[in-house]
Amino acid sequence: MTPFDAWTLPASAGDRLGEERAEAAGGAVCYPVLSSEAMRGLCASLRGSREALLSHAVLDIAASLGAVGARFGSSGDPLREAALSLLPHTAGLSPPMAELVLDGMARDWTEPRLLELLEAEFADPRVLDTFQAGARGSSRALGSPLTLHIGSGTVPGVSVTSLIRALLVKSAVLVKPGLGDVVLPNLFLRGLEEHAPEIAAAAAVLYWPGGEGPASDAEAAALAEADAVIVYGSDDTIRDVRNRTPASARLVVYHHRLSLGLVGAEALTGDEMARATATSVALAVATFDQRGCVSPHLVYVERGGAVSPHGLAGLLAEALEALEREIPSGVITPEEASAVHQIRGAAELRMAAGEDVAVYAGGEAPWTVIYEPEPDFKPSCLNRVLRVVPVRKLVDVVPHLVRVRRHLQTVAVVGAGEVEAVELHESLARAGALRITGFEAAPWPPPWWHHDGMGPLNTLVRWVDAEG
Amino acid sequence: MSPRAEFADLSRELAGVFSEGAEGPLTETAFNDLALRCFAYQVATNPVYEGFVRGRGASPDGVGSWKDIPAVPASGFKAVRLVSGDPGRVEKVFRTSGTTAGVDRGEHHVLDLELYRASLLPNFSAHLVPDDANVRLLSLIPSPVELTDSSLSYMIGCVADRLGPERAEFHIDAGGRIDHGALRQALTRAEAAEEPVLLVGTAFALVHWMDVMKEGNWTFRLPAGSRIMETGGFKGRSRTLPREEFYAALTERHGVPTGMIVNEYGMTELLSQFYEPVIRDSADPGVAARRHVPPPWVRTRVLDPVTLGPAADGAAGLLCHFDLANLGSVCAVLTEDMGVTVDDGFRVLGRSTGAEPRGCSLAMDELLSASSLTIRVRP
Repeated sequence: MTPFDAWTLPASAGDRLGEERAEAAGGAVCYPVLSSEAMRGLCASLRGSREALLSHAVLDIAASLGAVGARFGSSGDPLREAALSLLPHTAGLSPPMAELVLDGMARDWTEPRLLELLEAEFADPRVLDTFQAGARGSSRALGSPLTLHIGSGTVPGVSVTSLIRALLVKSAVLVKPGLGDVVLPNLFLRGLEEHAPEIAAAAAVLYWPGGEGPASDAEAAALAEADAVIVYGSDDTIRDVRNRTPASARLVVYHHRLSLGLVGAEALTGDEMARATATSVALAVATFDQRGCVSPHLVYVERGGAVSPHGLAGLLAEALEALEREIPSGVITPEEASAVHQIRGAAELRMAAGEDVAVYAGGEAPWTVIYEPEPDFKPSCLNRVLRVVPVRKLVDVVPHLVRVRRHLQTVAVVGAGEVEAVELHESLARAGALRITGFEAAPWPPPWWHHDGMGPLNTLVRWVDAEG
Repeated sequence: MSPRAEFADLSRELAGVFSEGAEGPLTETAFNDLALRCFAYQVATNPVYEGFVRGRGASPDGVGSWKDIPAVPASGFKAVRLVSGDPGRVEKVFRTSGTTAGVDRGEHHVLDLELYRASLLPNFSAHLVPDDANVRLLSLIPSPVELTDSSLSYMIGCVADRLGPERAEFHIDAGGRIDHGALRQALTRAEAAEEPVLLVGTAFALVHWMDVMKEGNWTFRLPAGSRIMETGGFKGRSRTLPREEFYAALTERHGVPTGMIVNEYGMTELLSQFYEPVIRDSADPGVAARRHVPPPWVRTRVLDPVTLGPAADGAAGLLCHFDLANLGSVCAVLTEDMGVTVDDGFRVLGRSTGAEPRGCSLAMDELLSASSLTIRVRP
């Protein structure tokens, strides 16, 4: 398989230095290394193209972006087909998982969804075009001249969403995707170049490995040039980028996040219902092979249902086994495989020692369910490894979340009961949760969600008030 | 026979085998025989291991090769107490180091320290002082008096006892603080007295010591026959250094040639150690081409990380050790270390714990430290 060209640059990008290769989870990608001068030239070119972007109405931009986005969901479209054939080789996902992920992501790249996003974020989206009169004078919202996006590569498509957000607020954007997410932003931008070249001219996609290396000069230049920096990654990555971002640049960070599930007794009132519950929990866990920030690490299960927490663990194992056949797990590194064996073996030993522990495992497939009474939030080693922990009442989990409160994100809930849900939501919000949803929806936050607590477009704009 | 008598018998027999030395003969058949007997003893006396083995569908009657004996994961030493024998007769509990407060620490409950000594001394001698040189031990590993629950400190303590108190000095405290002045003096004295030195330390402590040397612009030309044992690696610490650079610096600062610097690979969960046989063989293939070798009473397999079957020839895999010295706990231990078979030993390719998983939701230190995937490196 020929390496994927992990860049899409305007023709005016200037001299490239060497071409490098990187090994992704299932294949190679190559990318040019820019000199710092070439990077500054690229940034100037993108900023220049922003002038044209400003002259487009935001609704027109949304229509153009939506038209390209829709192609990824349209069966037989060359963009979708290219994405489906390339994703398994760069993101390390199985082909069925690649399709699931593409469908889930592309659903939100269509014009109607982007309009919903604009309306959710702005009382009148035209504030992105001109000053709009309001009760207290008039206001205008402007994106930064140039946004630099630094992606983590964990979930393919996240960089496209980031690119779309920047262009919607009419910011020129340089996208540096993570290695696992190089395909979709490049394909998207290439599609946009065909469909709306004037808009596309304000965007560029270029992969390079972060940190020390041949591209570190280019990275430093990009950080110095960008007016806004959006960074996804580990806490270490965030710390590093934060230290190197100019004080005057806007910095939006999406650091490590942890998600979990809560299954109330009302979702376990009978065998059939418990099976349905298990199926939806298992899919939320298996999606992205559990690597998404929205993927549940463990589920707390309320006692008192017709099916016990222990019983649900068994059903979850069956559901994960079925999913392994239907949507197999992807490439797993030796380190990840080792972690799975250690976790399984340690749980087997605890079981042998008479603890109330049960292990269900997929053999060579990494999926694993561990039932155990220890209520602390312990992160999973991922790749579909789920802990099932019994609780008396769902609200009882709150004290166990204290330690991870700054990293909490999605809490998927089912069967909480209407009255209890009100109290539960408030308790979870105070405990640090950022999103409460169902298991089906858990992997797919809508475009307008308050991403890690922030309005996705509002974090990108500068408000200008003309006081009247 | 009572379990206690059986332990005593087996233990005595094993000590006899160990006393033949690291070069002693132990055929595959003889090893297999001992391994199966140890396995049967452990299943009979260790209910946790017995349950684990049964859960894996195995039993002493059904196993004919030591290779089929179920291995416990190294992290199991954090999860449960693995004692093959009377827990009331445990002589010592060694603990793995944690890098962060609140970490679950692995525990190795040792029934018979004599058996540990019997394993560690001949192996250490074979690889560090095969020439029976009259060396002075200077340790940057805390003494067992300072660090009472470290198996590494215990080991160096045994070596010191063997050399005699007048020939062994510890220059680091339990908190890892090096007594720079005293160590400098000791090295100066050895240099002047033409007395060969055996300097032992964790890589981290040695790097720190060399930082101090650099600041003071100190270098030594230790007498011929001086040697260095380093261990532990840098995992979980703020600084890492390529091994070639590290060894070059050790040589430059101490005047000890690279061929007299040996890495020890060990873990709290195993009572035997592995060394690079460069001093023993008077041959150093170069730092990158070195291998670790087990003593005859340990056999190491390289397993496919996914299937846990034997890795393909020459392929990297997880190291799984069978250590007869672990009679009082569990002999078969699956590590998180990646390695590859090289001749009669293996090359360690890196520890897989602490490697950053790809998920966007894991891997921050503060959470890793609290999960069951903690870093397991001896102090």
